[in-house]
Amino acid sequence: MSRFDPRGHVNRALLVGVSDYDHTRPAEPDGVPGDLPGVRHNLDRLRDVLSGGGVFGADEITVARSPSLDDFSEELRRAAHEAEGLLLLYFAGHGAVPSAGNELFLQMRNARVVAGGWAVFPGAAQFTGVLTELAGSDVERIVVILDCCYAGNAARIFQDFADHHAVDRHKLLLLMSVQANRLIHAGDGTVPTPFTDELLHLAGRDGPLWFQDLCGALPGRMTAAGRTTTLGEPQEPQRAGDPHTDVLLAARGTPRPVPAPARPEDGANPTRARRRSVRERLALLTPRRTGLAPLLRPLADELRAAARWFRRGRPGLRAALSAVLVVAVSGLGWVLLGPDGDHACATPLELRVLTDPDLESTVRAATDAYLTSDANTTGHGCRRSGLTVYSAGSADAVDALREDTDAWQEPVAEDDNPQRDVGPQPDVWIPASTTDVTRVTGGRQGRVYAELERDDRPFVYSPVVLAVPRDLAGPLGERRDRPLSLLIDDLRRRDPDAEVRRPDPEFTTSALLATLGLYDGAGDPGEAERRLAPGAPAPKAADLLCALPDDADTDRTTAALAPEFLLKSGVGCRQAIRTPRLAAYPTDVPGLTPTFVRVRWKDADLDATARDDAVRRFHTWLTDGDGLTVFRDAGFRSAAGDRPLLDADHLGTGVLRDPGRAAGDTGRTDLDTALTRYRGASGPGRVLYLLDNSGSMAGLWEGASGGPGILKQSLGGLGDQDQYGVWTVSGTSAARHDVRLPFGHHRRADAERVLDPRRTTVRDAEADPRAALLAAFDDMAGRGADDDGPQLIVFLTDDEDNNRLTGGKRAEVLTRARQVKVPVVMVSLDSGACDRGRADADIAEASGGRCLDASDDLGAALHDEVARAGTGED
Amino acid sequence: MFRGDFRRALLALLLLAVTACTGGSADSARPSAASATPGEIVVASGRDVTGKNGIRQQLIDTWNRQQDEAGTGYHARLVELPGSADEQRSQLLGALQSGSARYDVVNLDVTWVPEFAEAGLIRPLADDAVDADVIPSVARTARWDDQVYAVPFNSDVGLLYYRRDYLAEVGRTDLGGDVTWQELRELVNSLDREEPGRYEEGWTTQLAAYEGRTVNAIEAFASATPDFALTGADGHYDGDVQQLTDGIAELRRRTDSSYTLDDAFGSEETASLGDFADGRTAFLRHWPYAYRTLHQTFTADQLGVAPLPGRAVLGGQNLAVTRSTQRYDGAAALIAFLTEADSQRCLLDAGFAATRTSVYATDVTCTNARVSTTPAPSGTGESADRMPRDRAGRPAYATDILLKALRQAVSRPRTPLYGAFTQTLTTELGPLFGEAPPTDSRLAERLDRALRKALPD
Repeated sequence: MSRFDPRGHVNRALLVGVSDYDHTRPAEPDGVPGDLPGVRHNLDRLRDVLSGGGVFGADEITVARSPSLDDFSEELRRAAHEAEGLLLLYFAGHGAVPSAGNELFLQMRNARVVAGGWAVFPGAAQFTGVLTELAGSDVERIVVILDCCYAGNAARIFQDFADHHAVDRHKLLLLMSVQANRLIHAGDGTVPTPFTDELLHLAGRDGPLWFQDLCGALPGRMTAAGRTTTLGEPQEPQRAGDPHTDVLLAARGTPRPVPAPARPEDGANPTRARRRSVRERLALLTPRRTGLAPLLRPLADELRAAARWFRRGRPGLRAALSAVLVVAVSGLGWVLLGPDGDHACATPLELRVLTDPDLESTVRAATDAYLTSDANTTGHGCRRSGLTVYSAGSADAVDALREDTDAWQEPVAEDDNPQRDVGPQPDVWIPASTTDVTRVTGGRQGRVYAELERDDRPFVYSPVVLAVPRDLAGPLGERRDRPLSLLIDDLRRRDPDAEVRRPDPEFTTSALLATLGLYDGAGDPGEAERRLAPGAPAPKAADLLCALPDDADTDRTTAALAPEFLLKSGVGCRQAIRTPRLAAYPTDVPGLTPTFVRVRWKDADLDATARDDAVRRFHTWLTDGDGLTVFRDAGFRSAAGDRPLLDADHLGTGVLRDPGRAAGDTGRTDLDTALTRYRGASGPGRVLYLLDNSGSMAGLWEGASGGPGILKQSLGGLGDQDQYGVWTVSGTSAARHDVRLPFGHHRRADAERVLDPRRTTVRDAEADPRAALLAAFDDMAGRGADDDGPQLIVFLTDDEDNNRLTGGKRAEVLTRARQVKVPVVMVSLDSGACDRGRADADIAEASGGRCLDASDDLGAALHDEVARAGTGED
Repeated sequence: MFRGDFRRALLALLLLAVTACTGGSADSARPSAASATPGEIVVASGRDVTGKNGIRQQLIDTWNRQQDEAGTGYHARLVELPGSADEQRSQLLGALQSGSARYDVVNLDVTWVPEFAEAGLIRPLADDAVDADVIPSVARTARWDDQVYAVPFNSDVGLLYYRRDYLAEVGRTDLGGDVTWQELRELVNSLDREEPGRYEEGWTTQLAAYEGRTVNAIEAFASATPDFALTGADGHYDGDVQQLTDGIAELRRRTDSSYTLDDAFGSEETASLGDFADGRTAFLRHWPYAYRTLHQTFTADQLGVAPLPGRAVLGGQNLAVTRSTQRYDGAAALIAFLTEADSQRCLLDAGFAATRTSVYATDVTCTNARVSTTPAPSGTGESADRMPRDRAGRPAYATDILLKALRQAVSRPRTPLYGAFTQTLTTELGPLFGEAPPTDSRLAERLDRALRKALPD
């Protein structure tokens, strides 16, 4: 028996009695049956008994008289938060159950009863929710006493809850006034209600009152007093929880012991002590207790065998049968099953956590710490949940949550599969800005298969700064309270050759926020973009900061737009010597406001309660607990007040404690507009696709990862304004390519039809990549004369014919590539094609393009490259 | 036995009846009566990025055609998941637990089978779903708790790739089938003196903080201790400090910086393959798919492959039927098709390690998909396939090297808490590759403690 004496600890008793209801029948048909005047006596008497019991100090007892649901929830939360030793929740009032009988509602002052549907009990506390709140409390013991109709239904809910949540079952004890599915009498109103009346008699006695003893003595008193249910049968109080766990409720007239930590009386390792088998628990159905030995022993045997049998079954079945065992056994006798005997850790509930690429490493560090934290560990040492953190480009994540939850839940088309291209369906989304959430919720169209439930405010903050090389940074006064354009002017004044780089606004929200400042006041986004260093942007800020030291000159003269926190935690990526950078704080770039968002998928209700609980625990730990220390160490600021640094003693290089005026949160349309302007900043693009269809491609033709499939996926990066064409490349004499789609504006569907692997097929011929590339250069060279819109050549090949790209032939192609300056994206289905010295790598480099090979995620990577040239939004 | 089972079943039914009276939710617990419902079968599998011509999709297309002809009403649809194994596992686990997406058949890494089985997310299959033709070491990955839960789809095993042309400079070209680590170290010492080509260091492998580090560690641990096992049959932690100390010592020897490329400590599969392809090392520990890839860069005179010295870890993926499927019969039939010898031969020809002995040893051919297997399949004399093949068209190393390696391969610990296990091992071994590595025994003690916590009794 693990007994706990809470004296000397911080204890809390929350006594809730609802005697007066706002809505009662018959005056209001949707009201409760009537007031319960007897309950007033319950509260007064119980408070007196407990305050003299030596366990609860007078200030540790809260009496809530006829609270509304909101008031009750608040009191419960407070008590659960404050208690450290024993937390006692007592409730007397009306109780109600839905027709399925699988939930118990504790009806508060403002309760109503609405017929039909699930939400039939507004103004009532759902018992599962109460358990959730209690289970999250960091106390030694929790005792719940329910005196209401259907109180016994709580046993099953408790057991289900414990089964699904891997809660520390020895912590929670439950005493119920009546067996399941029974209504009880409220008394005549002049005295306490029958059950509480008997309880008060026992609790008021001198000497120690232990929970299990109280439970043991109550039935006798109830029977002796002839208490019955409304059906006229004996009213039988119930209990649930581990019968080997006990707690002292009162010790009237006995001296207070020297405070000592809780210690199991059987002396063994406490974890092992709790690891009792079903056999041991069922052995408690002893003849001495029930006097029914001959009858019960065979039943106990059967129950044991059944327990072994169904323990191998699925959890749902296990939970259902566990609950039945509780009901069955409690109906016969009086001792309830505790936790099942198999303490092998259950598979933790898996939470899928999607975040912004800039936040990924910090969120991952936080979840790694959470996985092994006490908050995520049950009393048996098992992990409650597993978490997997992943990131997706912020524009992709916002788009998928806004417009594509249907395909994310059930991808039916090969080229529209967010499960593959964005990632797992998140349970939690931590975007870099609260505005990302409103971009989703404010712009939704069509049917929605994932509901978002967001926090009211972010849990941390980090401004987006211009990180300026130290030698080019201005005095303190010029590093804050200035718009971004002025900061850039300052930089250029000091060094006309200085450059500014910003990561990809499609990929991270911080880069998109920086874009707001960049475009602020600039009439033409194209002009604003030209203030940045040319070339493809780094995907995310950490990549940018990490790559700058690769070239000492670039490092010395380049300012980077990046979240402030990375100046502390994003600069240790290489051992290279780097130029120190000082942060300048633009007034017109909103900062990062990471926010916790719960994502609920339609019909994903197999483990809804457990999943909610797991998310809630992680949420509390991350946003209001130890998780913040990870963000503190990473260099984040508080989201509250003046947004001070969470760790003001250990600043990142060049970080100012007071960053001056900051831009307020931005509207969703501002960000969407900025993204659209960015996509169109350099005007419509021109893309020429070259698809190798020589014989060797036969084995690389079909499916999403085949040649045509990869090109098809990239079409979403092109919009109506863009122009493009598709050539196939094969043949070594006469025509070396075939125009499958002439250069011009196209509807996506038309291009997709051309790229159907059954329409555009492999030829029984070799290819001449040299000839095809030279022809492509000539073609594109003639197209860019009248504007400076971006151009791109995409060449998808398996490199089988690269023997035609050696020696002088390769040199010829490289020379022409450098002249024409149209970037070439080489997409190779060969794994090593982008290794140093290979033809594909050389061509990509000479043209200012990019080399992708089979070790990349080709579909997604090519899409990104094409999207940069085009104006498409998918 | 029958009587006991019958009584237990009867009691359970009785209890279910009671549940029904009290308004329970027992419906969801009952086995579905609709297991033979025709309709769509959704197959979830990680994205295949290795340019295998959608071989899985091709096999599924063939099955669909057969179903259409037979009029069964079944139609399978492949849903690709992200390329990252962590994300695949997260989506499969999260979706099956919550019901956020519907899958009938899931393609699981071999290390996930106990977890999904124990969680009740996949259904037991008939014992004969995995027959005697399946390589025994591979077949064992399909079982959990004395039941078959999955069928091996494709296998994987650690192999040693080497540069014949580099070795020629020190008087060797072929390593044969049973090279030891001691021989490798001696060869590396000789190569260090010659420094052929772009040679920098002896070998490279995957030691970044991810599953690759676990694989390399288990290979060292299992080589150091005969009958090495960290978990018992029930998945509980069964290791001890001595085993771990010996294993860590072996891992330390293998990854000594005088033999190991610096970049190996931050490498995953792709980077290590690239470094070897760049000629920076003479040896590479990698998987079978590298055989095809490396032959795009190297000729048969330059590249050799051998079983990994010591023990090699078994990888691969197994197909399982989800608990939630309404189409158990169709799903099981689809799995049978995808894992039959013909399909396995198609997978072998495409570069996967097949799971059946007969595919390596007999003239089973691939008719379920189109995979080019001969050096010159078309009139152009052109083929993407530069992989050496044997007379039967199999990859040349399949029978002598690959099959042998698969047969002798060792499994990673089989536990329902594999996620926690591998995360713990990866993290705890970090200091071994850090600046001031602790002693073997000290690190072993810490690892032992951490594993006990991660895999509680």
